[in-house]
Parts: sequence; structure tokens; C-alpha cells
Amino acid sequence: MAAWTCRILKLGDALLKGTVRIGSRAGTATFESVPVVQCVRTIKTSTWWDEHLSEDNVSFMRKTVMEEYKQLTTDKLNPLKDEPWPRHEWEENSRRVGLVAVKLGMMPVWTKTGEKHVVTMLQVQDCHVIKYLSKDENDGRSAALIVGAKNVSPFYRSEESMDIFRNAGLPPKQKLTTFNVTNNAIIKPGTPLYAAHFRPGQVVDVTAKTIGKGFQGVMKRWGFSGQPASHGQTKTHRRPGALGPGGDPAKVFKGKKMPGKMGNIYNTAFGLKVWRVNTKYNVLYVNGSVPGHRNCLVKVRDTILPRLLKKNNDPPFPTFFAEGGEELPEDLYAEDMFQPGEPVPE
Amino acid sequence: MAACARRAADALRSCRLTSVRRQSERLFSSSLARHSAGSDGQPPRFVPPVKPVIADKTRTESATRRFLSPEFIPPRQRTNPVKFRMEREDMVRRRRVLHVPEFYVGSVLAVTLSDPHAAGGDKRFVGICIQRSGAGLGATFTLRNIIDGQGVEICYDLYSPLVRTIEVLKLEKRLDASLLYLRDALPEYSTFDLDMKPVHISPTQDVPVNQMKVKMKPRPWSKRWERPKYNVQGIRFDLYLTPEQMEHAQKWGQPWREYDMLIEYDTSTLEKEIYQEVQQELAK
Repeated sequence: MAAWTCRILKLGDALLKGTVRIGSRAGTATFESVPVVQCVRTIKTSTWWDEHLSEDNVSFMRKTVMEEYKQLTTDKLNPLKDEPWPRHEWEENSRRVGLVAVKLGMMPVWTKTGEKHVVTMLQVQDCHVIKYLSKDENDGRSAALIVGAKNVSPFYRSEESMDIFRNAGLPPKQKLTTFNVTNNAIIKPGTPLYAAHFRPGQVVDVTAKTIGKGFQGVMKRWGFSGQPASHGQTKTHRRPGALGPGGDPAKVFKGKKMPGKMGNIYNTAFGLKVWRVNTKYNVLYVNGSVPGHRNCLVKVRDTILPRLLKKNNDPPFPTFFAEGGEELPEDLYAEDMFQPGEPVPE
Repeated sequence: MAACARRAADALRSCRLTSVRRQSERLFSSSLARHSAGSDGQPPRFVPPVKPVIADKTRTESATRRFLSPEFIPPRQRTNPVKFRMEREDMVRRRRVLHVPEFYVGSVLAVTLSDPHAAGGDKRFVGICIQRSGAGLGATFTLRNIIDGQGVEICYDLYSPLVRTIEVLKLEKRLDASLLYLRDALPEYSTFDLDMKPVHISPTQDVPVNQMKVKMKPRPWSKRWERPKYNVQGIRFDLYLTPEQMEHAQKWGQPWREYDMLIEYDTSTLEKEIYQEVQQELAK
């Protein structure tokens, strides 16, 4: 953009034989008798947040903001701060809030009988309830809770997008997600959520954006077979082939599988068992693979698969409260999982 | 007489004190105790002999080999280090129960696996370790042996709960970091006796490197081992390939890779830190 602006200015310069004087970058160009050039010039309104700050001030700002956020987070943990919302009992059709977690990577686990399974480690980092949406504010069908995770710097965000966090009294989050919940499962905004929200043996669904593959052909994107490598093939090895019948429909049906952008869409892995929960590092060990790349933020909720609903009976409701009295060991294991420290099973 | 007894008792006390430090005097102290007890006319009191401690004077802390299992080194990637720390904690917890000895590719191992279908519930296999792979809890090693003329390879999970014992029968290294070429070598190079007796190697001495170069079956081999990609030192290529063919194989070489500083992954400091951490954890 700068180059483009520059060139036009130069052009004007040449045309008007040096009547234009260009000022500093702050935008004090003086155009006494040249309205043409003034129209063309683009004026940059957005600035870096630290554009007019000295280096000391920048580091000071960063430090104070970090301290302030730490303070905000610990204040929320203080139960005496103000009145908590009433808690209700779990019922058959209750839907709880979920978590936003960071995908760490994968590792193996073994059952007590020696079968090997793979699990994905999901770490819950600074996960908080940000906002409560009543039924009318949401979609008219159910109430919702907005949950965010992973604190980020506020300096690169617009004022409007910071409002929601300011109202909750929390640092801004990298990822916000909405969970539809029943009325008995609502939680006060500002409540921290922990990995112990889920317990080993429960079943969860994990939603995340898949890894982007770019523009791909039909063989990779849809698993077509392609054509043979040899036997007289000319320029036809990985092509889609025919698109359908010819004369009768006389069109290509909608939804025909064709080349195009692959990945980078939201996808959900359903019915994943929680093998283990680490309460020290707040890590969930979820069976199998999960969409998304390493370090990406995923949405974890109780499963919606009807046949697995009974495995989620009587969970911590509406969530696990750290100050609520229940003391948990560092690691919670599923019943059939082999724990690394235990002696070899017979 | 009383003075004698008192002197004897004094001597005994001093001996007991010294015996805490020096176990070589236990014979002397016990015999003296018997003598002193008998002198008072009372029945001799039993003093249990001090348990002898066999200390190897040649072995010092600094001279002992320091060995960190390769799966403790995290791969170079943009993963949160917490993931590797948690995995390491699990590995150490497992190692407290199961003794995983020091071994290398080329060492001969015996592994006992629990198997409910086997007679006696255990399954033992002896073989040469031809490959170690995997990082973290998913670490594996592959043993190869020839049973009844048939080559057998078993890939074991190092941290699987089914592994009961891992025993090193012969601790040695070979010229290569991977011995997969033994599949194409003559069977005598991967034949090991199932009742092999363990060979002792002092923990202070360096691990011996077996300089053996193997003879191969006739070509074609499963891989072109002469290519620079595999960098095999342990094959007698001169028996099977002409100098021209060896020259020709260098066509696939990538000699610039050794100057590529982005590929370089220096783990020495990382290794030192992790070694300290693991040793501290294991000592707990």
C-alpha cells in the first residue's frame, strides 16, 4: 500500500512540477493547491499500540497488565468476593457446560490386561466462564454459557472486543466458545473451569478446526481411485473422471465431489472416552485422535451420542469447584487403565 | 578381674563404634563380645554379626557410566514441554517397578513377557536388539533371533505392563545405530542360544564396541544397504559389490546435509538436565 501511495505522489509531483511538499509520516503533508493528490492519498488511521511509547513504557505496560491479570484471576478464586449463584442437583436431561482446552499431543496408555491404546492430551489453561446468555439472548431454545481459554495480550485487540472480558473481570482469551446448557447448569461468569470437570470413564465430544490442507485433488480430498499409471493413459492419472450421467439430467448434481480447499473446517470427534485426568497440570487424556493441530484450542463437552449418555451419569454438577471442599488426588484413572506406578498385573 | 572386664567392655564399645564404619573388623568384635560376656559368668549374649558390604574400591562415582535411555530425549518440535515432563514422570514411575537396564542396539537381551495363554504364564525370548525407536512412553525395541531356521523379530513396548523382566545377556555396541541389515545377512549372525549365560561387564568400564562386519546373503537385498542414506559400516561390501558399484552408490549421497545447521539437534545440555532429573526422581 505504501508503495502505491508513493508512486501516485511521485506522479503528482512530476505533473505539478514540485509544488507538493510531503511532510512527516504522522500525516502533515501540505497541499495548498493540489486537490487531486489529496484525494488519492490514503490516510492510515490505525496505529501500533506502542507507536508513541518509549521502550521503558512498553515494558512497564506489559508488566503491569500481566500483574493485573494475575490479580484478576486470583480474585475470582476468592469465595468471599461476592455471592455465588445457587447450585442445583444433576437430573437426567441436564446439559452441563464444557471446556476449552489446548491440544498437547498424543501418547500411549495400557489397560490392565495389556492392551495398548492411544490418547490425546488436552490441557485446560485459564479456562473461565465469560458470559451467561439467557434463553432469549441466545437462540430462544436454551440458555448458554460463553467459555474462554488461554490468556492473551490485550494490546492487539479492539476496544469492542475487550468489553466482554471487562464485564467478566477477566483477562482476554484467545478462544471463546458457546455451550448450550440447561437452566439448572448455569454458572456465574468468572468461575474457573478445571480438567476435573470431566472424570475418567466419561465420554466426551471434541470439536476443533482441522488442519488445513489447501487446494487438493479428488484423490486426497474424497478418496477417489484415480486412473492407472500406465497402459496408455495420457494426462489422466489423478483426475476425477466423469461427473455423472450426460443427456438425461443434463447437469452436474449439486454436491458433486470435486477438487477444492480441504481441511480448516470445524470437525467433531464423537464419543471419546476419558482415560485419565491429571488435576495438577489440568490435563485430560482422551481416547484416540482429535481434530486440529498441536497447541490448537479445542472444545470439549459431554457427548451427545444417545447410547453413551448413561456413561455420563452423575458428573460434577454444574462443574468442579476447586474451593468446594472435594479434595482430589493428583491423577484420576479409569478403572481398567494400567497405572504406571502399580506393580505388574498377574 | 573386674578391671579386665571393664577394659574388655570398653574395647567392645570402641569396636562397635568402629564397626559401623569399618565392616572388616566384625570378626574381631564378635569374638571379643563372646569373651567378655563369658567372663561375668552370665550366658553369652548373641550379637548379630555385622552384614558385610562388598564395596568395589575401583568403582568411584565419577567413573561410573552415565547412561540416559534415548527415549527420554524429546523430539524437536513446537510442543509444550509440560507434555514431555508428564510423560517422563510416568516413565520414571514405571521404572521404579520394572528395572530397565542400560542396553544398546547390538546388545543381546532376554525379555520375559507375561502371557496368560503361555504355559506358566510367562514367555521368554532371547535375541539381539536391532533397533530402538519411539520417544517417550511409546518407546520400543526390536529383538531378532533365528528359531528353528526361521528368523523371528519381536518388537517390544518398553513401558508395556506385560513386560516382566528385561535382562542384558551381553552388553555391547555395534558399528551401526540400526542393525536391520541382519535380515539380509547370513543366519549365523543373528542366531543366539536361548539358554545363553549373561556376560558381566563392570559398570565403570566403557561399553565394548563389537567391530564385526557381517557377510550377507546374495543380492538383491531388501534395501540397498550400500547407499549413503543407511551409512552402514558393518557389512563386508567388498565381497558383493565391485568398486565401481560402490562408487555408483555415492550418487545418492547428500553430502551437503552435514553442513545444514537447521537439521542439527544438539541434545547434550538437554540430556544432562534430564539425566539429573531422572536420577533424582528414581532415587526418591
